[in-house]
Amino acid sequence: MSVRLTDEPLRVDAAMRELEGPGLGGVTLFAGRVRPDRGPGGRVVALLYEAHEPLATRALRAIETEARRRFRTDRVVLWHRVGRLRVGEVAVIVGAACSHRAAAFDAARFLIERLKVAVPIWKTERARPVRRPRPRPGPSAGRSRGSGRARRPAAGRSRAG
Amino acid sequence: MNRPTGSVTVLLFASAREAVGRGELAWPIPPGGLTAAALVAAIGAKFPRLRPTLATCRFVRNGGYLDDLETRLRPGDEFAVHPPYGGG
Repeated sequence: MSVRLTDEPLRVDAAMRELEGPGLGGVTLFAGRVRPDRGPGGRVVALLYEAHEPLATRALRAIETEARRRFRTDRVVLWHRVGRLRVGEVAVIVGAACSHRAAAFDAARFLIERLKVAVPIWKTERARPVRRPRPRPGPSAGRSRGSGRARRPAAGRSRAG
Repeated sequence: MNRPTGSVTVLLFASAREAVGRGELAWPIPPGGLTAAALVAAIGAKFPRLRPTLATCRFVRNGGYLDDLETRLRPGDEFAVHPPYGGG
């Protein structure tokens, strides 16, 4: 199926097969994976993805329909995973097969950008606190305080894709 | 007696769920009725940690996005709180 919301692992090779077709010389696939970013809670070890069904599938189908019309292709993949995903696992695959590369690139970008803003899917970080090493006592220990070496983890959010 | 006239089911996702501590609430409808705006204000009053999130949310009633928060809710309605989406 070209639209999929599943708790099963996503496979790029399966997505590639979905995009086969006569005359479709340009294929673009994008896969988003969970990154081990540092956030306020520590280093991200997993992301919990959830969706509001059936709204999410309905929104994915609307994006698929729009992409087919706009880029004149019948071969579109729009897959998203839900559940707890560890760092490195694939959370999303989008792809398009068109006659030429320009349309395939444009279609794939359209798919992922629309998915991010229009589909009720959320991710929540599961992080492990990062221990900061204590500064070693030494001749310069007193002077080094406040030098900026022991920096706080950069605040940020983890993103897949 | 001011008895509730049924309830709506409130669904909370992601940061909204984490702010409240659970993903579903049964919210009683007071005798005078309940609009979506009144419901949002009431759950914000009951769960202060949810207030900052509510300001960024979209609301869904029975599967359809709500543009008019003056919509009156009915017993048995499903009212979903959608924080900004974060797929991908």
